[in-house]
Amino acid sequence: MLGRRSAAVPAVREPVSHALRATGVGKKIDEAVLLLPTDVELGAAECVVLRGPNGSGKTTLLRILAGTMSPSQGEATLDGSAVDERHDSTRTTIAALIGAPATYRDLTLVDHLVLIDSTWGHVGKPAADRADEILELLEIDHLAQRFPHELSSGQQQLFHLSMVLVRPSSILILDEPEQRLDPDKRDLLTAILLDRKDDGSGLLIACHDPVMTAALADSVVDIRSE
Amino acid sequence: MTVADKQRLRQVRSAILGNRPDTSVSNALYPVYVAVIAAASYGVPAAQQLFRSLDGKWLAAHAWTPVGAIVALSFTAALLALVPLVGRVHGPVVPPLPYLELVVDSPMPRKVTLARNWQLSFGGSVVGGLLIGAVGGAGLAIAKVVAPVVLMPATVCGALIGVLVAELWLQGQVHSTPLALRPDSSLPRGRRNALALLDITGLKRQAASNATIGGAVLAGDLRTARLDAARPPTHARQVHLRPSGPLLVIARRDLLGLRRAPWSALYGLGLAAAGSAGLMLSLQSPRTPTLAPLVAMILAYLGFGALCEGLRLHADNSGTSRLLGLAYRDTALAHLVVPVSAWAASAAVVSLPLYMTGLLRPSAMVWALGAGALLAGAHLMASFRGLPPAGVFGPRAGVPAMIFWYSKPLLATLVLGTATAAWGARSATPWMAFSWLLIAAAGIVQWGLKLVDKRDRRS
Repeated sequence: MLGRRSAAVPAVREPVSHALRATGVGKKIDEAVLLLPTDVELGAAECVVLRGPNGSGKTTLLRILAGTMSPSQGEATLDGSAVDERHDSTRTTIAALIGAPATYRDLTLVDHLVLIDSTWGHVGKPAADRADEILELLEIDHLAQRFPHELSSGQQQLFHLSMVLVRPSSILILDEPEQRLDPDKRDLLTAILLDRKDDGSGLLIACHDPVMTAALADSVVDIRSE
Repeated sequence: MTVADKQRLRQVRSAILGNRPDTSVSNALYPVYVAVIAAASYGVPAAQQLFRSLDGKWLAAHAWTPVGAIVALSFTAALLALVPLVGRVHGPVVPPLPYLELVVDSPMPRKVTLARNWQLSFGGSVVGGLLIGAVGGAGLAIAKVVAPVVLMPATVCGALIGVLVAELWLQGQVHSTPLALRPDSSLPRGRRNALALLDITGLKRQAASNATIGGAVLAGDLRTARLDAARPPTHARQVHLRPSGPLLVIARRDLLGLRRAPWSALYGLGLAAAGSAGLMLSLQSPRTPTLAPLVAMILAYLGFGALCEGLRLHADNSGTSRLLGLAYRDTALAHLVVPVSAWAASAAVVSLPLYMTGLLRPSAMVWALGAGALLAGAHLMASFRGLPPAGVFGPRAGVPAMIFWYSKPLLATLVLGTATAAWGARSATPWMAFSWLLIAAAGIVQWGLKLVDKRDRRS
């Protein structure tokens, strides 16, 4: 199953135009301001990059737009409705990597991808093929039979990205995907994300890498801090 | 230990203590004092009550028979067999990390630097065994199961078992250290040199794990303790998860997980078979003591639990980015497919020879299936219970409240499973007791699902 090369990025849902929008979205907990009011708009085949210093609220904004956190003010919508991760339609549309996803300590890398793919309704041989393709795409196919606890930190990051890329989605939300990756792997990730964008995916990315930002961004939103 | 060694160790201890007085002896004796008081004031009354409630007459009739001796010896041997496994995770010689870094890592002989920790654990094990023997003996004598003269041999036996436990515990730790069994090692092997065989990497790993597990237990976070104690799997990596439908792939995931943890699978299936057999046999006669279904339910709970690792991992993963395309509750229910099927299969396998030899009526198998539903609900509760509420840590609550909070799934299984089985065995209309077992099982499953939904909302 392993050893083939593929330039395809197979996990893009059929191109359907989705609009993810944040209008005056801010977050406060008691007196602590996590995010000042911010506007973001993301359409199909578009990439928006969030920039800002540590603590400015990039991750908070991503969480709100992924529907896992509610804003204190403003409105976050997906296709006009409040974005809420508990809705099946939200989960079907948005794939998010915000922090490390949970992994099973008794499954290998390729098993994780087959499991995720199968739970999204892909039955039969393609799930295994798609898992291999994603691993090859991220150049970690030689690690397919390792367990998550046997990976380096950079390999962990690539594995986490593979788990998000293997599931179908129309919008990808990534929080600093370049973390712990060497320059070659950052270039590789940039190419993969550009392919996803060309295939119709919307990309919302918090990123500190100016080279990646320049290559990917259709628009850049600078998040202000207090 | 030579005089020079003692002198060096004394210097080390005075450097560690500084100007503070050496209270190590009183620190070691105080827990013994508390344990003796607790054993006398709580242990003996509880033990005699336990033996009375477990049908004291039946116990008295069977205690001195060959079968009774075989059961007692088998139980003791099974417990002793588990001790080295404990030593592999947490041995008797686990000094604090700074002591390991600064003293044990020095050129001083390990037999010297680790002697005090070993003596404390050895002493604790012997005193513990002695007290357990004395409490058990006293409880049996007061409940009139055995003659009072048994108290002395029970105490001595307890102490001897304590010695065995300590030695096996240390051997378990020695065998867990990466360098212990190196064939090219020039260190002499054997019991007398066991402390010298402990390597610094293994000691540090256990000390770090000790801190994590200790903190997790104090904070009531058994999940962290469980994950820290569990060994990461490395088996059967070449076996792949086969793609299938969304629900089936979860069951296949669990099967693969058990294949990669074969000891856990064997242990689970063995206990499930023993528990289901015990439960089914206990239904066959109204004269069966209540102890029989109680022990059977304990074995069944432990066996079923060993097969539920996938369910526990699903609960552990809540609160992180969701990547699976299944609803949270559906995933939890799908994780029950393997343990419920394994329980039913093991009950069917053990019931066949028992039925063919005339020891069992076919209806007992149906009872075992009902008990499987109860076990499934209890393990849903156990996996998704999360952390104990803050009130459990309050000054008025304390350790018993926390133990009760954690034991709720086990207690529910034991109380409901034992009560309905005892009722069913004694009743002229056992179907009535079985109906209540099913009602109780449905209630426990609902309780478990409520906890699943609660965790889902919080994540």
